[in-house]
Amino acid sequence: MYKKKVTAISLLLMMIVSIVLSACGGGGDEDNAGTTDGGGDDQKTVKFMHLWPEGSAKQHNMIVQDIVNAYEEENPNVKVDVEVLSNDQYKEKIKVLASSNQLPDVGLTWAAGFMEPYIRGEKFTSLDDVLEGDLSDSFVAGTVDAFSSNETAYGLPLELNIAPIYYNKKIFEDNNLEVPKTFEEFKNVVTTLRKNGITPITVGNREPWTGSMWYMYLADRIGGPETLTNAINRTGTFEDPGLIQAAEELQNLVDLDAFVKGYNGLGNEEAKGPFMNNQAGMYMMGTWELPNYTTNEDVPQEFRESIGFFKFPTYDGGKGDINSFVGGPGVGLFVAEQSKVKDEAKDFVKFFVQRWGERSVTDAGVIPATKVDTAELDLPQMYIDVLDELNNASNITLYADVQMSAAAAQEHLNLIQSLFGKEIPPEEFAKQHEQVLEAED
Amino acid sequence: MNGTEHDVSRKNNNEGNMLGKVGYGILYLILGIIAFLQIYPLIWLVIFSLKSNQEVFNASPFALPIEPRWENYTTVWTQGNISLYFFNSVWITLVSVILTVLIASLATFAITRMVWKLNKLVLGLFMVGLMIPVHSTIIPLFNFFLNINLIDHPLALILTYTAFNLPLTIMILLGFYTTLPREIEEAAIIDGSSIHRIFVQIILPLTMPVMSTTFIINMIYNWNEFVFINTFISSDRFKTLTVGIQNFIGQYSTDWGAIGATLVISVLPILIAFVFLSNKIVEGIAAGAVKG
Amino acid sequence: MNKVMSNKFVIALYILPALLLILVLVYVPIVLTGYYGLMDWDGIGEMSFIGLENYTRLLSDPKFWGSALNSLLLAIFSGVSLIGYLAISLVLAAKIKGANLLRKIYLIPMLLSSVAIAQLWLKVYHPINGLLNSFLVNIGVDNPPSWLANPDLVLGAIFVPIIWQYAGFYILIYYAALKNIPDTVIEAAKIDGASPLQIAYRIKLPLILGVIKVTIVLSFVGSLKYFDLIWVMTGGGPNGASEVIASYMYKQAFNSYNFGYGSAIGFALLLLCLLATVFIQKLTKSDDDIQY
Repeated sequence: MYKKKVTAISLLLMMIVSIVLSACGGGGDEDNAGTTDGGGDDQKTVKFMHLWPEGSAKQHNMIVQDIVNAYEEENPNVKVDVEVLSNDQYKEKIKVLASSNQLPDVGLTWAAGFMEPYIRGEKFTSLDDVLEGDLSDSFVAGTVDAFSSNETAYGLPLELNIAPIYYNKKIFEDNNLEVPKTFEEFKNVVTTLRKNGITPITVGNREPWTGSMWYMYLADRIGGPETLTNAINRTGTFEDPGLIQAAEELQNLVDLDAFVKGYNGLGNEEAKGPFMNNQAGMYMMGTWELPNYTTNEDVPQEFRESIGFFKFPTYDGGKGDINSFVGGPGVGLFVAEQSKVKDEAKDFVKFFVQRWGERSVTDAGVIPATKVDTAELDLPQMYIDVLDELNNASNITLYADVQMSAAAAQEHLNLIQSLFGKEIPPEEFAKQHEQVLEAED
Repeated sequence: MNGTEHDVSRKNNNEGNMLGKVGYGILYLILGIIAFLQIYPLIWLVIFSLKSNQEVFNASPFALPIEPRWENYTTVWTQGNISLYFFNSVWITLVSVILTVLIASLATFAITRMVWKLNKLVLGLFMVGLMIPVHSTIIPLFNFFLNINLIDHPLALILTYTAFNLPLTIMILLGFYTTLPREIEEAAIIDGSSIHRIFVQIILPLTMPVMSTTFIINMIYNWNEFVFINTFISSDRFKTLTVGIQNFIGQYSTDWGAIGATLVISVLPILIAFVFLSNKIVEGIAAGAVKG
Repeated sequence: MNKVMSNKFVIALYILPALLLILVLVYVPIVLTGYYGLMDWDGIGEMSFIGLENYTRLLSDPKFWGSALNSLLLAIFSGVSLIGYLAISLVLAAKIKGANLLRKIYLIPMLLSSVAIAQLWLKVYHPINGLLNSFLVNIGVDNPPSWLANPDLVLGAIFVPIIWQYAGFYILIYYAALKNIPDTVIEAAKIDGASPLQIAYRIKLPLILGVIKVTIVLSFVGSLKYFDLIWVMTGGGPNGASEVIASYMYKQAFNSYNFGYGSAIGFALLLLCLLATVFIQKLTKSDDDIQY
């Protein structure tokens, strides 16, 4: 009996040790292959990290893989080593990697506030030399600026989105409503829909960046395109009457019962439900939603055809015009400062940006930050309309939470929730913003 | 005991039975309701996994799928290396759990059964280990594993899981070790047993129920862990099922049916292991009773 | 006896594997967290020493204290619910019919990962077509509340799934402890004419007192550093109404690039846990305390 137990336990221990050791050996070998980039016949490895897993972003994932394959074919001495994480995990890991100087050679970053500490800590390298020549002309004007600091570009944008208001044409027709041109008309649409038992607007303000866009449009239409931006970059103040009035108008919408029930507790994906199910009239979101209203076969065709979009209405006596948008570039590519294969990494980034533009719009429905020739591509009408609006845009205000430093953005998002929840009066909303922004200076 | 007393007590007994029956009825009703509340999520998860994204958000969340989408399972199993992740989850969990329970048993034995001065201090050290929030540890741990060249290596995970589950495991074992009568070792020592023999031959079998308990708890924790995996591991070939689940959560969109299917696939093995181990708790007691 | 049981070499052999793992993988991060707490550091660039500034800021940060209060409420709530788990375990361990199956069912929520549980409960609380509000509308409530959007309700609403999630964990531990009581003890009490309630109260509970104390500490410490469901279901919102220490720490360290301040919060959390543990041990200390 005793012997049997001892044998069993020692067998178990041996099993553990052998598994651990075999894993050890395997890992060690691979490690060497990965990091000794200058190997015998000049074989270099570029590490690339992105956030489009096959499971949730199949098209994106495929395009990336195709571009990587094409690059490796053209450059047989370079191997691109790809790591994929999902959005939240990506954000967390990139930070841990940066703190230990282990950033991948090439990766994705968000604009402005997100990348600021990386630039300050000299983790990203300047991409000005990549932009030299014809590449800089291929970007939509201003998109690279969001990834720049002191006139130096540290990231190359891949997407450019604006946020229109999508609306359900059928619901509007059934209720004899027309696309509102002014905010008064808009409020009228809201009251009519509510009176007829339809949710006017759905918004998932548990993720307050969604509610923030509503506030930003009001600030733009009332105070003009520069007011909010100036308040954030400290050439202006958040206690500007326009910004306070915008907060007031937003609470007026809340009083009109404009937003879906429980909006402060719903995530964006959850809030989308009522809109996709013909239960809500309007939904404001970035143009990354377009595939759901055009090409996505999983969405019933009848629904897709009933969706249109309109520009946020103008405000009587306000300083903003209807062609000003909230939006901005989404993610962009960076090259790590400590990369041992910087030249190859930059070359890959250049290659990537060139290939990405066309493929991403046709295959994944992404509106790229590089210029697209609509005449030459076979695109759904809604895409062409959006691209036209982009061309005619008088101004694009970058999402407030991206413009601000990360810490101020956190406060902004909290305050947006309070504003929507009517837990804070407009003046206090402005005052607290002002305090947070001032403290950062 | 005279006749009348006997009668009274029998009458009481009858009333007691009546009361008992009603009482049992209520008791089972309560237990049944709790059971329903506890098992419902599993049923719901299976239903959820058979829905399309549309149904998940549009229809009532508790409605049955209009036509079950079994393809959610095939999609998941064929896409993104799930079978590899599955295998990794199994062996990493298993090795970590065995290591944890074994090391914790050794330590608990030394703390509770052996005679030395610093045992309370060492116990205190272990208890403090319970109190650090996980997210405070990832940057220091990443640096540490980087320095000893274990980043992107499963050993980093196994060591971390073992270390972070040791305090909990020791705490749970502790309560049981202290209830074992001292006479057990005394008798064994008189018989001339060595200390290792006492531990392996007597203590381990006696603590089988609690070892199974900690085994189950450790298994669940390691199986569902994802913070450390995401941080320490970058190669696909060492990633686990929880990473697979995260991969279905997108930047702007999320394939909920697929997440449901992955969750079902990921809960099955642990459910089976649990049912099996759960019986061990009782069997272990029986074995212990024979020895005792 | 004492000679064998106080063999220094054996003690070291048994305790060192656990101790080394803990010291290297848990204590190094703890010390570093305290150290980072003294720094002005965004987690990425250079860090600069600012002494106790982060800690003094913490003392006057209403958001920190708000989150600490919420964590404390959760801890108290979890502590009270232990009584319920103990009652259920007593019933299950009393050899009633179906106990084996019920016990397994009760643990099921624990097998599921937080992702799955969060999804389930988000759908329970969905303001329009959630299970809870659908039910309330059916019984005639006119305008049922939006549970997770209402700052007055969100904390209570988020506690329920947390308590529910851990029911199985404690029932498992209590059950194993109760099953560990030798039948002879209980038989003896029965022969003496003790009622089942008396047996439970006078015999079973005192015998598993050590285990109960451990679970009190575990639930308290676990609650104070709780993170998972809150993060997924409310993100601490709306506007901090459901913020707990761990979620506030995460936001500071990872979202706001205040890694130094986040570390200070993490270290403060550790101290709070320590304080609570010492307090609990003082409170539950009794004459028949466990003797090591």
